[in-house]
Amino acid sequence: MNTAPIKKRYYFISALVIMLGFLLLFLPFRKNVNQLSPENLLLSITNNDRFYTTDEVAKLIILGDPSIQLIDVRTPEEFEKYSLQGAINIPLANILDEDEEGYLEWEGYLNQDIKTNIFYSNGSVYANQTWMLLKRLNFPNNYVMKGGLNKWVETIMRPEKPVSSAEDDLWTRYEFRKGASIYFGGGSVLSSDNTQGNKKKAPIKKKKKKAGVDGGC
Amino acid sequence: MGPLITQGIISPEWNPMIAFIVGIGFGFALEQAGFSSSRKMIGIFYGYDMIVVRVFLTAVLTSAIGLLFFNYLGWVDYDLLYVNPTFIWSAIIGGLFVGLGIIMSGFCPGTSFSALSIGKIDAMAFVGGIALGVFFYAETFELIFEKLYKAGNWGNVRIYETLGISPGLFIFLFIIFGIGLFWFTIYVRKKFSNRDLKY
Repeated sequence: MNTAPIKKRYYFISALVIMLGFLLLFLPFRKNVNQLSPENLLLSITNNDRFYTTDEVAKLIILGDPSIQLIDVRTPEEFEKYSLQGAINIPLANILDEDEEGYLEWEGYLNQDIKTNIFYSNGSVYANQTWMLLKRLNFPNNYVMKGGLNKWVETIMRPEKPVSSAEDDLWTRYEFRKGASIYFGGGSVLSSDNTQGNKKKAPIKKKKKKAGVDGGC
Repeated sequence: MGPLITQGIISPEWNPMIAFIVGIGFGFALEQAGFSSSRKMIGIFYGYDMIVVRVFLTAVLTSAIGLLFFNYLGWVDYDLLYVNPTFIWSAIIGGLFVGLGIIMSGFCPGTSFSALSIGKIDAMAFVGGIALGVFFYAETFELIFEKLYKAGNWGNVRIYETLGISPGLFIFLFIIFGIGLFWFTIYVRKKFSNRDLKY
């Protein structure tokens, strides 16, 4: 084997690379945070796309729609007392908990594009806060049940009879709510006892985050 | 903007397809550079051929510099890049075994496949060995390897974070190191290439 002469372009490449490196020394490192910009967040907050009404939620539950996942963001004690059928409990305070590997513990549920998550709390506030946190993290498919459980009780469990002169629409809705009320076992329309919710709970299985792609030579 | 798939600019379904295309390109590059020859690969250890070091150094420096500039221009979100978690003990011990395997066979896992595809018989034996090793490892994982595998988890660390310096400074130091190594390989090659090596 002969010793090849050192090529001129090696000098050139070395100089170029060192120069680029020198430049990088002074360029600021941009710390990108993968969050929604305030303008876009405002836009999403002001439009009401994120809401499901209690009627819609009731319908989805009754139809047994497999594409929705109800998520109760109240405390475990409250969840234990009463929860919607098929709901799982992820308390707002724990929503950003990390597992031992530093991933978000609930990310399997919250950051996915298969199911439609619908959050609810007693009112709308906690559910909205949850939604906003996840919106800022750019997690898709998260929605809020408008009015929360208070509205749920008011509209589904104890629907109010419209006045007799009311439009047909209102009557149709009332009929649906009456049926739903019976379905959810909150007693009949007449009963005011609504603490007997359907206690059937889905087992909570934590989903594993997808493993990244490994590389190698 | 980037990474394109994580940001949803390219849908994740394309992942295997892109991997396939990049894989073909990678194999082609390996073959073009002559890496499917075990003599070339093994040359690093005997000092008569340093092309492997130079090619990989160039690739590493190019992508590191490119990524940092992309980050500066806002084209790539650094936080979204996947970083392999560091399990320090399995990395060290596994690395030693891979090194031993490379010296013994003259292939690294990637190059063995490119050598296999041009019909080298020793590469076929090597790939068979990989398959056996993978099978053995998987079957005895809980029995033997699990403790080692999980020991010393440092998480998804980046080296500049561990050292507590800025990425720019680290890359600069790395470039100095890389260029130094580059010229060193030329020096080593000059020194050794005239010797009579029996291989």
